[in-house]
Amino acid sequence: MPNTPDSTPDYARRHLRFGWWSLFAFLALGFTLELFHGFKVGLYLDASNETRRLMWTLAHAHGALLALVHVVYGLSVTVAPTVGARHRPLVSTCLIGATVFLPGGFFLGGVSFYGGDPGVGIFIAPVGATLLMVAVFLTARGWSRPGSPRS
Amino acid sequence: MDTRRARTRRQANRGPTAPVVVLVLVLASLALGLTAAISLDPITVEDDVGDRPIEVAEDGFVSSDSCRACHPSQYATWRGSFHRTMTQVAGPDTVRADFDDVVVPAVPGRPMHLERRGDEFWATFDDPGWQDPGGGVERPRITRRVVMITGSHHQNIYWYATGHDRALNVLPAVYLLADERWAPRSAVVLHPPGQGVATTDGHWNAICIVCHTTHGKTQFDSPFGSEPITDQRVDTTVAELGIACESCHGPADAHLRSHVSPIARYARHMTDDPDPTIVQPARLDPERSSQVCGQCHSIWEFATTDAERRANAGGLPYRPGDALRDSRFLVQPSVDSHSPDMVGLLAADPDYVRGSFWPDGMVRVSGREYNGLIDSPCYADAETAARTMSCFSCHTMHKTDADPRATATWAETHQVSAGMAGNVACGQCHTEIGENPAAHTNHAPASTGSRCYNCHMPYTSYGLLKAVRSHTISSPSVRESVDAGRPNACNLCHLDRTLAWTGERLTRWYDRAPSPLDDDERTVAASLLWLLRGDAGVRAITAWSYGWPPAQAAAGTDWMTPFLGELLGDPYDAVRYIAARSLGGLPDHAALDYDFMGARDARLTAAVEALRVWERTAGAARRRDPELLFAADGSLDIMKMRRLFSERDTRPLFLRE
Repeated sequence: MPNTPDSTPDYARRHLRFGWWSLFAFLALGFTLELFHGFKVGLYLDASNETRRLMWTLAHAHGALLALVHVVYGLSVTVAPTVGARHRPLVSTCLIGATVFLPGGFFLGGVSFYGGDPGVGIFIAPVGATLLMVAVFLTARGWSRPGSPRS
Repeated sequence: MDTRRARTRRQANRGPTAPVVVLVLVLASLALGLTAAISLDPITVEDDVGDRPIEVAEDGFVSSDSCRACHPSQYATWRGSFHRTMTQVAGPDTVRADFDDVVVPAVPGRPMHLERRGDEFWATFDDPGWQDPGGGVERPRITRRVVMITGSHHQNIYWYATGHDRALNVLPAVYLLADERWAPRSAVVLHPPGQGVATTDGHWNAICIVCHTTHGKTQFDSPFGSEPITDQRVDTTVAELGIACESCHGPADAHLRSHVSPIARYARHMTDDPDPTIVQPARLDPERSSQVCGQCHSIWEFATTDAERRANAGGLPYRPGDALRDSRFLVQPSVDSHSPDMVGLLAADPDYVRGSFWPDGMVRVSGREYNGLIDSPCYADAETAARTMSCFSCHTMHKTDADPRATATWAETHQVSAGMAGNVACGQCHTEIGENPAAHTNHAPASTGSRCYNCHMPYTSYGLLKAVRSHTISSPSVRESVDAGRPNACNLCHLDRTLAWTGERLTRWYDRAPSPLDDDERTVAASLLWLLRGDAGVRAITAWSYGWPPAQAAAGTDWMTPFLGELLGDPYDAVRYIAARSLGGLPDHAALDYDFMGARDARLTAAVEALRVWERTAGAARRRDPELLFAADGSLDIMKMRRLFSERDTRPLFLRE
């Protein structure tokens, strides 16, 4: 398997590092939410805070899954450094942006909200979703091109 | 060729291909789904129900399910309220009584037999609609399926499918939730003894539907009672069973459609302007907002036969925000006792007003609080909207986050707003009294005599086998007891005092003109006069007050037994029930063995036993007050008791709660 020592280690390390730290951060959020359950914290569990509960749960779930995506992406860059190399800077930026905006939007949407509608912070979630779509599309396309390694 | 063959061999050796794996997974999922669908309870589709009223989203009503997504908090508190469960479809989750091969003797005629068939509830009883042809023919038995329930707070009233379209009728017995027992339907309302209560096919469809559902449409061919129901089509529908969001906010279809877009919703979030697509009662002026509650919590009649006919076909025309009197005749004898509508009403039913109002026009039955409100000076005489009392001055339909109570507690305590259970409610306007209540009440600040409600909203209404606070804000007076026969707040607490005693204090403290009193009113405790001479409604209220802890603390309890014992033989079932409950709550009477629907001899025996217990335990501490009809030696003045008893108001009374 060819190697490109000048660029691969940077992206691989960048996403592995970002992924593991993101995973830690969003697992910590999940742990906090579990504590809210354990101690029956009203600001999270009361019926009137149903929207906050949903938004923060979504923030935790999306954040943790996106962190794993970073780890997988970092590993895939390591094992197949030539695949998608042309768009790698864009994909990398999009993935990091998605990991900030998507769970961040959900989290902010639950901080203050309007009944069943999340707060205005939710509007950055679609931005994150779009960045994620772009990153995944470009990566998938890179793996579909001739010359990409076969298992 | 060799390469291709080799590749084919490799693929064959790998086992099942991806499409096969996907197919297996899909089939497995389908099998799992089918198994779950078969094992779960079937979902009742309303369109398939033919024997009871059904829920139909029409006329702009969309049901509370549509409100939940955007208003989860309001939905949750409404869902925890008794408004929601006012009407429910009978099912394992809603039926509170035991139907498992139970025999209920407390019904007219032969005992009722209850049985459960799977998730269905059935009853066998004497046919209430049978017309006796004479000749000693025995009343036939009928077996009917229970399909609907009214009430979930105090009573379960069960409705059965009559078999004629969607017409319902009521079981002859009602289940009392607190007592976990059945009682005849005629016994749970204050009703003249020996007169059965009407059990007519279609009663629910035409009467109860109006206030116990959302946008109910009776849909008989002609209004209830004008033609035999057996000759009519009965296609009763409701937007929602129970009192739901759209009862108070109006039909929500337009609101829903205009807020599908998130842009429209967030634009609405950013403004404080009222939303023209829905009614928010809290934003209405006090008059109109109270009328939202008053659409049900009032005594009213259709203004014309045409109006009744239109309502029968299309539901009531009133919508929240409308002027209530535009579409109905609101009965208010305090101001319109001689109006043509009222005269016409009384010509058709001379007891109409007496069954709902005190002689001075104050409402005397529960569930009609709007009538009380509009007769109150805090509402009628208010000079500005800000100082006008409304239902929302004290109550809230949605518990707020600031309210630390559990939703169930809030619902149980009549949906009174946080903090409004005390003097704060009146202190919203009467600030000068609120700062130093004792100066106004002449009672100790911490005592129940310094609670605004106890003097200005006393328990002088009746309903659901108990006394209920009047919602006409008034000041206690001796005159109301003398002229209108209504127990006054002072003597409902100071049960051992005379009207003269009360009059003297009211004159001294508030400069009230003294009322002329007869000899008994001067010398006998007012509560005894009410118990012995009063009509059945007065007796019920007074007997309830004998069990009211603040009254027991003020008047003592060691003298009450003979008088409550007397009421154990009252001809009115409801009065006996209340008296027994108060007596059973007295010290030394917890073991009272008494059934208010028991045989007369058994009731007499229980009363005698209660007297024995009292004789045994009263001892030297026995009261000897002549006001309580005790002689100096502690013996009862039986002759005076009998004389007062002979003066009892025995006119038949049916309180239309």
